[in-house]
Amino acid sequence: MSSRIRTASRMFVSLTGLAALIIVIMVVVILGNIAVNGWELLSWEFIAGNPRTGMTEGGIFPAIFGTVVLVLLMTLAVVPLGVAAAVWLHEYARQDSRFVQLVRLALQNLAGVPAIVFGLFGLGFFVQFTGGGIDQLFFGGTLTFAQPCILWASLTLAILTLPTVVVATEESLRAVPKIYREAAYALGATRWQVVWHVVLPNSLGGILTGTILAISRGAGEVAPIMFTGAAYFLPFLPGSLNDQFMELGYHIYVMTTQSPDVEATKPLLYSTVLVLLLLTFALNFTAVLIRAKVRRRMRSS
Amino acid sequence: MSALIEVRGLSAWHGARQVLHDVQLAIEEHEILGVIGPAGAGKTTFLRSLNRMNDLDAGCRTQGVIAYQGIDLADRAIDTAALRRRFGMVFAVPVPLPGSIRQNLALGPALGGSKSGLEGRIESTLRAACLWDEVKDRLDMSAPSLSGGQQQRLCLARALMLEPEVLLLDEPCSGLDPISTSRIEDALQELKSHLTVVLVTNNVMQASRASDRVAFFNGGRLVECGATKQIFINPREKETHDYISGRFG
Repeated sequence: MSSRIRTASRMFVSLTGLAALIIVIMVVVILGNIAVNGWELLSWEFIAGNPRTGMTEGGIFPAIFGTVVLVLLMTLAVVPLGVAAAVWLHEYARQDSRFVQLVRLALQNLAGVPAIVFGLFGLGFFVQFTGGGIDQLFFGGTLTFAQPCILWASLTLAILTLPTVVVATEESLRAVPKIYREAAYALGATRWQVVWHVVLPNSLGGILTGTILAISRGAGEVAPIMFTGAAYFLPFLPGSLNDQFMELGYHIYVMTTQSPDVEATKPLLYSTVLVLLLLTFALNFTAVLIRAKVRRRMRSS
Repeated sequence: MSALIEVRGLSAWHGARQVLHDVQLAIEEHEILGVIGPAGAGKTTFLRSLNRMNDLDAGCRTQGVIAYQGIDLADRAIDTAALRRRFGMVFAVPVPLPGSIRQNLALGPALGGSKSGLEGRIESTLRAACLWDEVKDRLDMSAPSLSGGQQQRLCLARALMLEPEVLLLDEPCSGLDPISTSRIEDALQELKSHLTVVLVTNNVMQASRASDRVAFFNGGRLVECGATKQIFINPREKETHDYISGRFG
């Protein structure tokens, strides 16, 4: 009896360990495969050059540039909006009100919407409705903003990543000790001043965590930008908000599905994937560095 | 001498539970009023009703009149932020905000939009809180890294930066060692020449040392209030006598 229990327990331990091991193996296989195959072509010319001869040669600089600008624009849009929404939800709203429940329900649903639906939403709402409206109002109907472009693509991504930022920010607002708020109120702070001078500075770390998660998510999505601004191939870099752009994820998709010569593009494909991974890591790492710096300053100054 | 603050018929509830029953109490100008009583007697609720900190508690409701310079502080229409600038408060636990000593002290004036003469006021309030000599060379050091006693004196100095007319202290020495405690008590004796102090304390000895008059609360009622000597030598009520002689509480 006891030996059977021991065997069963040993088996259970082995199974859970195996499950954990599979995770590591998958990551190693994916990253290893990409690194080994992508390393060869990785050169300065590849990173800084333009695609040539039907994307079977040359570099991917326009796609790198487009991805970075896209993610930056998305961050600029999603962080203020998400932080403001979280501050309202946590600091101002009456928690039992219908509207708050509605907002929370909307956030949960937003987080569950498939990425491709965001793409279609962006096309309908941003490109056609908003862009069309702007063109009618300010450009006399001339086609200016009623077309897929980097502005609409980044705003579509911002909506996709909004729940991430709101949830992370609210979590960090909740972590600010109540007694800090009371101390500020006792010094004659108004509600707004308590939020601005005490609550927000003490939740910067959590807000940046939300930003990091949003960047990781946003930099990897293809579906939301397919109809809203990403271009198959562009001979120039986006120079204004209503230009189209190339993006690494979309470029990978295009090279996989639309290439005239799959074998010729394969090495390029590997290297592009490697660059996308490295770029995402780099963006993340920068955000982590900023957060570490902020936390250090909060602690020591 | 007419009273500075006159509390009339003050009752308070936390949810459905009544925690203050019809309190009548006058606070004189330039006195230190000690407020004593066992845990749950309503001391803190009473203190926090004076600067309307109870408003922050969604479940707390009060009723009654707190007359101060011709206005009723319990009136819903009162500007609570302005009131709290005139009624400084120190909490039971030291609450240094993350940031330097200087930043902590500058916060109150900054909230009110005043920035002039800050350096001079920092020195004078730190001196008044008996902390200047210990921190004068390191005002940019992190406030949370001070010792507990120093933190509490910093909180006292931070409250004084607002140049309040009344100082509300909620068991300010409950977690402090005897030396820090006596420093704070010394500071209070100096301060009462230009402001009025309400000192809630769990320490009966502190009330007898530091206060001019003592109010004894029990079960949400003000049992009696009188000169410190009278309360300690010749209390009118048996409850008071039992509490200060350590029979309960």
